[in-house]
Formats: sequence, C-alpha cells, structure tokens
Amino acid sequence: MVVRIRLARFGKRHSPFYNVVVTQARTARNSKPMEVLGTYDPKPKSALDGEGRQFKDIKLDVARAKYWLGVGAQPSDPARAMLSMASPVQCLAA
Amino acid sequence: MAAPQHALRRGSSSLTRFTSCSQLSSLSISRTSTRSSHYFRKLEATAEKGEVLKPMEEEELSLKALADGWLEGPGSAFKDPLHGSTNYLNAYSPSGKLFRLNTRKGEEGSEANATSDGQLPPERLEDLMPFPLNTQFRSQSVLSEELREEIYNRVVVNGSSVRSVSAEFSVSMERVGAVVRMKQIEKDWQKDGKSLAKPYAQAVLNMLPTTPYIPNDPQPHEDINDLPVHSHTTQQIFYPTSESRDFTRADAGRAFNTDLLPADARIPHPQLIEEHRERNFPPAVRQNLIDERERREIQDRERRKQKMMEREKRQVTVVPGKRHEFRFKDISVDSVGKNGRSPAGVGWRYGFPHEDRKRGQVKIPTRVDT
Repeated sequence: MVVRIRLARFGKRHSPFYNVVVTQARTARNSKPMEVLGTYDPKPKSALDGEGRQFKDIKLDVARAKYWLGVGAQPSDPARAMLSMASPVQCLAA
Repeated sequence: MAAPQHALRRGSSSLTRFTSCSQLSSLSISRTSTRSSHYFRKLEATAEKGEVLKPMEEEELSLKALADGWLEGPGSAFKDPLHGSTNYLNAYSPSGKLFRLNTRKGEEGSEANATSDGQLPPERLEDLMPFPLNTQFRSQSVLSEELREEIYNRVVVNGSSVRSVSAEFSVSMERVGAVVRMKQIEKDWQKDGKSLAKPYAQAVLNMLPTTPYIPNDPQPHEDINDLPVHSHTTQQIFYPTSESRDFTRADAGRAFNTDLLPADARIPHPQLIEEHRERNFPPAVRQNLIDERERREIQDRERRKQKMMEREKRQVTVVPGKRHEFRFKDISVDSVGKNGRSPAGVGWRYGFPHEDRKRGQVKIPTRVDT
C-alpha cells in the first residue's frame, strides 16, 4: 500500500484547518496518521498593523517531509504544491 | 397594610432610623399630608436641638401622607437636583438642606452664599453614600473628560510610557490602557463623521464624582501600587530556616513557590520604590535618574521586540503567491512527544474532543493585540 503525504481536514464548518499528514493511502481522511508533518491554515490573515499583503500560515517540518519523499511517499496535488513551495528542488525530483 | 402595622408595633426603631437617614420605606400609618409635613418640621426642630423625636402614634400617619410630606419637605431638594454634583440622599439633612454647605459657611443663610459664589464645596466622604443604609459603599470617582484627554495625549502624542503616565496621575495601568483605546475609538469615529452621545456622557458625568485634571497638580485617582494576590501566596506555610540566615522578601517568595518573584518585583510600579529612595536628592538629579530609567526601559522594550522579530524571521520563510503570500514556519514533528499526545505538538490533535462547548471556556478575547 502506498504511503501518501496529504491534507486532513479539521476545523469547523466554514472554518477549515488542515493537518499535513503522512499516512497509508487507503485509510480514512481523518484517521490517525503515521506522522503529522505540519498544518495549513487556508484562511488568509492580515498583518496586525494592516500593512503588507495578506498571508496564509503553513507550519511544516521540511526535513521530515524530505525524508518521507526520499523513502517513496507520494504527495497529493495540494501537498505537492505546498512542498514545492517550501523546498522546490526536492519536491520536483519526487 | 398588615406588614407595615406589624413593623410599627415591633417598636420605635423604624422611626428613629428615619430621623437619621431620611428613609421613607420603614414608616407607616396616618391621616393628612399637612399633619405629616408638620411632623417633618417638628422632626427638624428637634434634630437641631439634638433631641430625638418620639415616634408618632400608630394612627397618626399613613404611608401616602408620609410620602407626600416627604416630597414637600426633605424631598423637595430633589425636584431641582444640583448640577455638576452628586445628589445622594445622605448629603442632605432630614429637612432637605445640604450638609456640606452648613459645615462650611455657618448655620444661617448658607444656601444664598453658595449660589452667589456659584461654587459648591466638594463632597465629603459621607456625602458619597448612594445607599444610606449601606454605609460601607461610597461612590468612587471616575476620570473626568479633561483627564482622559490628557492621558491620551501623554501616551499617544507625547509617546510617554503607560507606566510613567499611570504613576504621574495615579491611575492604574489597565485603566490608562483602556482610556487610550477608548479615546482612539472616539477619535476614529469623529474622523468618520459618526455622531457621539456627548450630551448623555456629560449628563452622567455630572451626576458622578470625578477626578479633575489640574495642570501641574495631579489629583490621585486610585491606589496604583497594590500587590496583586497570587494564588501561591494564599496558603499558610511553616518554613524552617536557621536564625543566623538572612531571610528576605525574595526568600519568602521562593518559599511559596520556586518560580514566584519577590513582592518588590510583582507590584505594578517597582520604579516608585527607587524614586522614594531618591526623594532627598536634588530635583535635577532626581529628574535625571527618572529619565534615565525611562530611557532604559524603552531601550529594553525595543531590544526585546527586535529580538523577537529576528527570531521570527529566522523561523519563517515567506513565499509570494498570486493572491496571498505563504508563510512557512519550520517546526519539528518531535514536538508531539514520545506517545504522540503532547498538547505542545503541532497540528489538530487526534483522540481529543473539542472543548469549545465545554462549560467555563473563555471565548471573549482576553487580550488586545497591538
């Protein structure tokens, strides 16, 4: 069975929040994963002083993500986009 | 009518209480309002002589007549309440005269004098009892409009620290913060052309005791350096220590809890201790020391802020996107701990219910991000 890096939706109605997880491909979306690599908060936030662009927060253990890619984990499309932003070269190779 | 009759039959205490604090509620029974107003005049006369009037006979006064009598007599003072002053029951004698006028200007014709002055003497502590039977409750002063404006100017326009403004006007730091925020909202509203309820605010302020703003003569508003009670210090501890040892307040703090700071560091204004130590220095030297401390505090704050920003910069990588930028923060998967259940771990936790519907969860913001 394939190991995947994918997003698991948590949060509330109209207030999504995702865990970036490493898990077996055929398990349920929100089942307990092998590892939680980080989080993705899709709601854009404004800076407190109101200046600059809006931003989205992503927390990620990049080193660990690289390890999982190195041992053959398959990122889903959104996960791939996120990982390639965090560490472009490694993810393009994967 | 059963209850009041019963109350009167129990004795004269209800009437004597009336003579002392103009209370109507504890009285009962009679016939005409002229009789009752006559009773009030008599009451006043005996009060001036220092005698206590005997309670009336049961049949003499009715509740209605008493109320009418009170409205004509002592209560008539409240038909035209004083402007720019509190109007609490306790500030008036049983005959409806202001106590503080008598004490200041002599017995006779005092009211005329006061109005020609145009200035009422300030309220004494006894005049600030809104509830005559609750002598422990005194109406506390609120900040006057001018003082609030000055606090805002000091903090926002002059850039003084909240701590120094708080110490200068003797207003707690929390209150200074609140004043600055409310004033800011007020000014923003004025800029947006929103209407303010100024007449209402003015009317309420007129009815309350206020702390005025007098330039170069700050009036203390409240106690600012009270030691907050920490839950660790509410227990009684028997702590054995040798007699030869110096046991200071810092040691006492540690005895309660190893992380507890000494009382001198936990008070809101520790710098006031330093200032008190320097009270005999020449004024110029004192001012220098105060300025130096303030400068150091501001520098420290800046340095801490700078450090925090640098740390954040090191941890966070910003990737520009089409509509938003993405802020990647590097974390460690090990933060979940060995069993994977540590609350310090990153991400939504598995196997734990949400607690936001649980009783006692605080959902209103408890701090203001600036």
